[in-house]
Order: sequence, then C-alpha cells, then structure tokens
Amino acid sequence: MSRSSPRQDPPSGPRRLSRASTAVRYAVESAVVGASLWVLDRMSPAAASRLAERLGDATFLLHRRRRKLAIANVLRAGVAADEAQATTIARASFRSFSLTVIETLKNKRESDAGSGVEWHLPPETEALLKAPGQGLILVSGHIGNFETAGRWLSRYKPVLGVARRMNNPGTDRLMQKRVPEGRFRITPKHDADRGRLMAALRQGEILAVLIDQFAREHPVMVDFFGEPAATYPSTALLHLITGAPLVFGYTVRTAPGRHKLVLSEPLRFPRTGNREADVKVVLDAVTRRLEDAIRACPGQYLWAHRRWRSVPPSRSDVTPVDAGATVKRPTVA
Amino acid sequence: MTDDEVLQRLREVIRRSAPNPMDMSRVGLATTIAALNFDSLTVLDLIYDIQQEFKVDFEVERMATARTVGDVVALLRSVGV
Repeated sequence: MSRSSPRQDPPSGPRRLSRASTAVRYAVESAVVGASLWVLDRMSPAAASRLAERLGDATFLLHRRRRKLAIANVLRAGVAADEAQATTIARASFRSFSLTVIETLKNKRESDAGSGVEWHLPPETEALLKAPGQGLILVSGHIGNFETAGRWLSRYKPVLGVARRMNNPGTDRLMQKRVPEGRFRITPKHDADRGRLMAALRQGEILAVLIDQFAREHPVMVDFFGEPAATYPSTALLHLITGAPLVFGYTVRTAPGRHKLVLSEPLRFPRTGNREADVKVVLDAVTRRLEDAIRACPGQYLWAHRRWRSVPPSRSDVTPVDAGATVKRPTVA
Repeated sequence: MTDDEVLQRLREVIRRSAPNPMDMSRVGLATTIAALNFDSLTVLDLIYDIQQEFKVDFEVERMATARTVGDVVALLRSVGV
C-alpha cells in the first residue's frame, strides 16, 4: 500500500483556477448570507414569512432544473393525479422549504421555541420524553419545519441533531452561530467521534435523524413510494445495538408561524441475528410512516431532492491491511 | 477463553462485518479499526455482530471509540468473555 508523501505537489493551472473560483464564490455567498441575516433579524415574523413565500416562488420560477425535478418526483411518488396537480404541489413545496429556512433562522432564541406549536403525541411517548435518563431516537424526514422540530422537543430533554455540514465553510460558520446554545445541539453526519451518538442516547438525550437522505455510502435499498431509494442503515443499527426506542415524528405548518408536531407511539423492533434483515425491517417501517405523513400534506415535503439517485457501484477488491496505517476510503461519486 | 481465542472469533466477526473484503491473516491486536476501513457508520455493523457473536452486554460507545483490535479484545475480556 502506498502512503501519502509528506510533500504535496502544487495544484496544476486549471485546478488552481478552479480552487480560486470556488473561493471567490464562497466568499460572495457568505457575504450575501451575512447581509440577508442582518436584514432578517430586523424584520417582523409576518414580513419574514411573506418574504419567504416570495423567495420560494422566485426559486420555483427561476431554478428550472430543481422545478422539473420536484414535479417529476411528485409524479413518480404517485401523490398527484396529473401534471397540473404535481406542479401545484411542487410550488407549495418550494414555498414550504423557503419558510422552513427563514423560520429556522428567525427563530434563533430558545425561549421562542415551542410557541405556536400544537402537540400531538400519545401518552406512552410523552412518558418516555419525561422519563429522566431515557434516550430515544427521533426519526423524521424533510417535511414541514424539520429544522426547528428538534428545538421544540428540547423542552423535554436535550436533543442532538445529526446534520450535514454546508459545503461553504464561511456560510457554515454563519449558520452555526444561529444554532441556539443549550439543550439543542448539532453534530456532523460523519462525526469523527464515533461514540458521541451512542453516549447521547445513554445519557438520556434525544437523537434526531432524517431518514430520507440519499445514502452515498453503505446504502440499504428501501422502497420509497414503491421505488428503491438508497438509505443509511445507521438509524436502524443505533436502535438495534442500543435498544433505545424509536419515535417517528413530523411537523406540518398550519398557518404562518403555527405548526402541528405529530409523534408516533414508541417503536421497538426485535433482533433476530440477521443484521441486514433486521435493519431492513426497521427502515421499511419508518419509511412507511414517512410516506403516510407526506400523503397527508404533500405540499410540505422537499420534493426538489434527488431521493432516487442511482446507487454507487459496490466495491469488491480485496483491501490489504497494514497494522497501524489508515486506509483512505475510495471516493464514491 | 484465552486472548488468542477471543482474537480468532473477533477476526471472523470482522470478516463478516467489514465494508470491504480483507486479508484477515494480517489482522492482529495492533491493527487499528481505521485500517480495517470501518468508519462512523460501518462500525455500527461491527458492534451489532460482536454483540450477536459474544452475547455480552457492554457500553456500546466504548466499543465505538476503540482504536485497535486489541482494545476491542480487552473490552470483551473486561465484560467476561
């Protein structure tokens, strides 16, 4: 196995140009986001909602590729009778996503969290939420205001949200500053500290994960509206190895600034010893619940998301093992 | 059960759980979990399979943060394997 050389060659001309162009794009993007946040902080919630709806409409009109993707996805899922209805749902979806972003950025103070939320949860789930030391895994999808739901739940116990960091480090830093301190924290999806998620569960926290993200690595194929979608197995495995109960939850926007938060009863799945089969059972069950939630309010699901991307090819080469050395994982497109 | 016997059974579990096929004859106590290609996601497969193989209860985060195969063997020994 070859090891990386300590001296790195300078990037070639086109690569250097590409890096410089990315750096400029990131700097401009961060400046625009920073200025937008400054303006947003000075707007009333009603004005911010109106702005979000206009931004959603504008994105729908201008972002042709995403618009077409969203309409195609709505039709593929079978939640619209025809293209006209699919277009209406897709447009509503763009508005909903824009509102989610604006509401999340606007609602930065934890003391605001939970106002305007109508709670729907069975008594067993409420008992779990109130039980000290009881960890649980909250499973959701890109529906309603999926970003802020974790903050609302943090009234019961600390919440650790698993999220992807933004590509632009400057924008990521700006956004991280908006995350309220205290009982709601975010951890990167590929956390280098592998024990962090499990420790959170053992300490009685809520681990919040979105189940409908395209899995680039180690996917399990799960039917999503009847078509296979690459899904991360980690949620199911965390449940199976820690025994922490799963709760499926989602939010629906009922009026500007008002939401309904729906939580399922606690879900527990047995281990049979067949890891792959056990994981599939869990993922199938929570995905069916997500589908039901989406069917109930299709305009609030993020359809402009490539959920049914083709699966990365499997790798079958024998990997040599060199004690003490770190093997760089092959990158999958 | 001796350390060698635990290591032998652990090698078999690693072979089953590993994200890529491996040359298991070179896996020893000093081999790092990273060198076995386990990442924050696939280490969960390994923990499931270790729980299944050894039928013991342990704090899973200790397993998830083990650095070497030797650390895993020591953890298993500490819980009675």
